[in-house]
Amino acid sequence: MKKVSRFLKTFFLVDILRGLAVTMRFYFGRKITIQYPEEVQPSPERFKGILRLYKDGNGKPLCIACKACQRACGTNCFDIEGVRDPETRTLRPVKYDWKLDRCTFCGLCVEACPTKPKSIRFSKEFRMATADKSRLHFQLEDMYLAGKDLQKFFKGESKT
Amino acid sequence: MTNTGFVFDVLIPVGKIVAVILYPLLMTIVMIWLERRVVALMQKRLGPNRVGFQGILQPFADAFKLFLKEDIMQDQADPLLFKVAPVMVMFSSLLAFCFVPLGEPIRIGTYRLTLWIAQSPVGLLLVLGLSSISVFGVIFGGWASNSKYPLMGALRSVVQILSYEIPIGLTALSVVFFARSIDLVEIVNHQSRAKIWFGFMLPVSFVVFWISAIAETNRAPFDLPEAESELVAGYHTEYSGMKFAFFYIAEYAHMVLVSSLVVLMFFGGWLAPFPNVPALAFLKVIPGFFWYLIKIMFFLYLYVWIRATLPRYRFDELIRLAWKWLIPLSLVNFLVAALLWYIL
Amino acid sequence: MSFKDIELNMGPQHPSTHGVLRLKVSVDNELVLKIEPVVGYLHRGMEKLWESLTYAQVVPMTDRLDYIAAVSNNLAYVLAVEKLMGLEVPKRAQYIRVILAEIQRLASHLAWVGFMANDIGAVSVLLFGFEDREDFLDILETYAGGRLTVHGLRVGGVPYDLDDALIVRIRKSLDELPKKIKDIETLLTKNRIWRHRTEGIGLISAAEAIEHGLTGPALRASGVAWDIRKDIPYSSYEDFDFDVPVLHGGDVYDRYLVRLEEIRQSTGIIRQALDKLPAGEIMAKVPRILKIPAGEVFHSIEAPKGELGFYVRSNGTDKPERVKMKSPSFINLQSLPLMCRGNLFSDIVGILGSLDIVLGEIDK
Repeated sequence: MKKVSRFLKTFFLVDILRGLAVTMRFYFGRKITIQYPEEVQPSPERFKGILRLYKDGNGKPLCIACKACQRACGTNCFDIEGVRDPETRTLRPVKYDWKLDRCTFCGLCVEACPTKPKSIRFSKEFRMATADKSRLHFQLEDMYLAGKDLQKFFKGESKT
Repeated sequence: MTNTGFVFDVLIPVGKIVAVILYPLLMTIVMIWLERRVVALMQKRLGPNRVGFQGILQPFADAFKLFLKEDIMQDQADPLLFKVAPVMVMFSSLLAFCFVPLGEPIRIGTYRLTLWIAQSPVGLLLVLGLSSISVFGVIFGGWASNSKYPLMGALRSVVQILSYEIPIGLTALSVVFFARSIDLVEIVNHQSRAKIWFGFMLPVSFVVFWISAIAETNRAPFDLPEAESELVAGYHTEYSGMKFAFFYIAEYAHMVLVSSLVVLMFFGGWLAPFPNVPALAFLKVIPGFFWYLIKIMFFLYLYVWIRATLPRYRFDELIRLAWKWLIPLSLVNFLVAALLWYIL
Repeated sequence: MSFKDIELNMGPQHPSTHGVLRLKVSVDNELVLKIEPVVGYLHRGMEKLWESLTYAQVVPMTDRLDYIAAVSNNLAYVLAVEKLMGLEVPKRAQYIRVILAEIQRLASHLAWVGFMANDIGAVSVLLFGFEDREDFLDILETYAGGRLTVHGLRVGGVPYDLDDALIVRIRKSLDELPKKIKDIETLLTKNRIWRHRTEGIGLISAAEAIEHGLTGPALRASGVAWDIRKDIPYSSYEDFDFDVPVLHGGDVYDRYLVRLEEIRQSTGIIRQALDKLPAGEIMAKVPRILKIPAGEVFHSIEAPKGELGFYVRSNGTDKPERVKMKSPSFINLQSLPLMCRGNLFSDIVGILGSLDIVLGEIDK
């Protein structure tokens, strides 16, 4: 009996028809792709976009040029020099060179940063394409750029 | 005064020839779009939908791109055969369309416009024969490329086409037996008179014919000779630019040809469905040509649907399927059909 | 023109050698006589590079080895370093590591099904496999920020805790998975074309497999019941109750079935880990500058592709003296000639697919 049923299943192409039914179901079903750039996938909180330096609520930079990020980095992206501000007795960076083309987005620099809140963090910006390789090297002022200003920087139209 | 002789004897045939050449080309364009969109939709993604409305201009973009590509030919390639191969394949597909009717004759005033270039009492045979000339093109292409991969692909392709010609012939024979004629127009007229289509009278014939047709046209799941992951691209690996476009168009034209045959032989050609049901008589208002197109579109859709779903057959299984299963099955089917015809 | 003893080159650029792998194949008309893999096209000098990085800086580099299953590389390395240090990792961290590793196994096997089916011709299954994998990559992205290069573990524990929202999300993805697997199975497992292409192909017996050092699902499909998670448990795997699928055919079809069954078992493990997740710390006390006294250790885990091991030798400084990685794909690839004997040229792609190799691992 089983042999007969197996023969009939083979003769009537049951397995193939079942497969065809699956793809037909998907044909009428919901599609999972979105129309980029009109629709953008929302990024989770810990998303690793491009590294940015941040300022506190009063607009003062948070970075204290302790070079913890430079020591933590495995690919030598950072080149930092700090100077002690004589009035406030705090260190401030005077040179902060960061190379995007060396960064592996591992996050060790973010973990190493001692300030609260952290002065270097991942942003949500993932559009890091440029046609000019020199635009991949950031200086201190460029590390605060975001959004449209950052895109202008990549295009080579920035003021710095 | 219009010279009616000129109109009838020269203009209309020329018009028909132009239509016959344009028809597969237009269908190819539709097919390219259909394939990419439908395969994408079945894979839960949107296909090309930015170039023109719903991506309808995408095939034109592809064709334009192929136009601009550099036409490469190796030094060691045989120049004549290399150039002749794509032309040959295209030529055979287009030539076979001469004998394929596209609809029932239209009456314009007193003139009866026939929607075919030529009607022959052995139309089906001619169509099958002419479409087989493409085998030469395949061999030439593989050989002239002077490279191992295309040659292997060409040889496989040739064996495949030749093996699957036999079930096609045998199942077509069962239809011919019932219709008492090899003329394609007659076959359709017979279905009109018999009020039932051959696809329902001879379902096994239809299925075997359809499977063999897919194998004839080197389409999935029988597309090993041109599978990307196995032999790069088979016999048309070394072709680029317009020559490659010719192979491409020829393959789609062949698909359209074969779908046309299936529709004509098994599904009533240009006949409207349900002729006996008076409630659905409005269906006859739609001209036959449109029914024909709708049915062909369904089979082209079926081609794409099958491609999106099934894995590929390995070459020896492909040939084994033809010789061990389809050919005996079609022989048995013919005997059964003949018996049925005598009994009923 | 005959094809007797012709040498063909499935060159480094080929749509279905999974990466830049070159295969020199000698064929006799269609039958494979000899096949020789040539590797090294993706060599990046990783092991030498690691000698100049600190132990913590090596962890994100290991993501790039088996780039389909990044967390398993992380896990193998951090376990080796912790064994060298003699460090005890908190229980909660171990359970979270198990959850992450099993999620990565799911993702790896789903990608594998896609690749394998695409090579055999079922083009849609590639998309379905990757779509099903998306849920789990999104979970990893929510957890650690990366989908491909995850860097989800640290020496001494895990960097983040699993909050309730993420746990709910993981459970939801696990609930939706069986239906998706069923769709893939309907398209493949009973399909006659699939079975024709995979049954009886690429046979390797249990004895030959052990002799050639084959590990992972390919070994279990040949009848050898060896799974490091069960036989030499690490990271609290002994707390979980799961079956190890073993089949005896040794062909491509059995490897396919074994991996599908492993997907199901992994969902069970993740559920158990979520249910029994203990409270506690997620990171052990590890000094900022980690110096390990001189010693050497080898530790291996059951990665989705096989036995993934790290040999680490320390010399008292904060950088390892030598790190060597035993990659499963490199060892598994060596049984390819054995599996291909007696098969046709068209089968090579299927057999290679069933071995599940990743060139990042092989070439390092």
